[in-house]
Amino acid sequence: MRERLTRALCRMDAVELSSRADTPLHRLDARAKLLATLLFLVAMLSVPLAQLSELLLYALFPLLCAAMGGIRYGDIVRQSLVVLPFVALIGIFNLFYDREAAFRIGTLTVTTGSVSFLSILLRGLLSMQALLVLILGTGFYPLCRGMQRLGIPALFTAQLLFVYRYTYVLIEEAGRMSMARDARSFGRRTYPLPLWGELIGQLLLRTLRRAEAIGRAMAARGFSGRIPDGLRAPDRWQPRDTAFLLGWTLALTLLRLLRPAERFSDWITY
Amino acid sequence: MSHHYLRFDRVHYRYPNGYEALRGVSFEIRHGEKVALVGANGAGKSTLLLHTDGLLLPCEGQVVVGGIALTPRTLPLVRQSVGIVFQDPDNQLFMPTVEEDVAFGPANMGLSPEEIEQRVDAALRAVGAEHLRTAIPSRLSGGQKKSVAIATVLSMQPSVLVLDEPTAALDPRARRQTIELLRRFLHTTLIATHDLEMVAELCDRTLVMHRGELVADGATAQIFRDRELLETCGLEQPVSLRTAPV
Repeated sequence: MRERLTRALCRMDAVELSSRADTPLHRLDARAKLLATLLFLVAMLSVPLAQLSELLLYALFPLLCAAMGGIRYGDIVRQSLVVLPFVALIGIFNLFYDREAAFRIGTLTVTTGSVSFLSILLRGLLSMQALLVLILGTGFYPLCRGMQRLGIPALFTAQLLFVYRYTYVLIEEAGRMSMARDARSFGRRTYPLPLWGELIGQLLLRTLRRAEAIGRAMAARGFSGRIPDGLRAPDRWQPRDTAFLLGWTLALTLLRLLRPAERFSDWITY
Repeated sequence: MSHHYLRFDRVHYRYPNGYEALRGVSFEIRHGEKVALVGANGAGKSTLLLHTDGLLLPCEGQVVVGGIALTPRTLPLVRQSVGIVFQDPDNQLFMPTVEEDVAFGPANMGLSPEEIEQRVDAALRAVGAEHLRTAIPSRLSGGQKKSVAIATVLSMQPSVLVLDEPTAALDPRARRQTIELLRRFLHTTLIATHDLEMVAELCDRTLVMHRGELVADGATAQIFRDRELLETCGLEQPVSLRTAPV
């Protein structure tokens, strides 16, 4: 347990370190990346459920952005798998209720329910990959600041930053509790359910207390609910930001309107 | 502006659960004084410190900083002149990097990026942590965290420096470095601590808290000679005074 928590903290540190790299993606204004990602999500999520092949082409967005930022796409894919159980839960009923035949592969009949299920899984994965690339290529703090500069209310962006910071606090406190438990458990690995309830309750109380202390430290240094611009002058919108946003707007619009995968499959069938 | 930089006037504070943590505390600290605040656990030291920065406001009485009475309206002004360093630096350091953490206060003050940069440089230099500029705060050692926590407050250029247990949980070398660091500061300083050896080295004046009341206020040497007072308040005479002839 403790090792897993330490690994989780190291992964979060790695995200911070990765966001400090100097690559074409990192040099872009956070707002340009944020808007392009939003556009990607709208375009990708609006693809009809049955058009699975169409959806695959949208993997180009996280793939190319990762390449721009020197981020290994394999790592992104691996990390995005974490979302699978949640997405599967959303789509699993399609398998049972939508049993109409979509197409046949040899003797195997593929139902429209299984196509839509796969489509939901793929959407979940691609959304997660795009968000991971966005965070790794920007950093959480600059991202929240970018959102603020786009006009998103400070109340919302500050909450988002607090949630991120609270994750650290939660993991650190869970690590401390786990260490205290291990020190007195003499190798015992399982505990009765009521004890878990108490542990989780304790964890909540401890993290709340620490969050309160952190809030006090922030207030003592003048925090008033709005994320300050910080050490560097806010990014100026550059021609490269316009080019990035326009390029992806054009590519995603064409991809959505022209549906190249569908046309290609029609052409092959013809 | 008053020459008494920090003044507590019959301050009472009761927590929402009814516990009365401060009972009519009054004292004044003048410009440039280094004052220690000592007392057993639960004596009310931390509650008192939180009042210096308006993080808690008195239920009764008044806190005055640099001639300005602390009220919800004057909070932003007062917080620019009082810098508080909390006991646990993990609670003080919350930004992704050391430099961003040190820049947090000045950025909230609305300073220009150039001014912020200068202040970050100066604060990190003052605590000897220039080399930690781009480090991740959670990965620093205890002593380094403490130094950086002090830098986060110095960058706001406060007139009063308030420290809660600055030497707690530090190894001897880190403790010594912190003491030397505090010795160099010319700020009006209020230090809440159990480290009476440090008090004997740094502070000419000591306030003693007991069960929410200020029971003694005087020269450190005089207070440390009063064994009965120290024992009543759950304190112990510093070893250096016990072994040396007084």
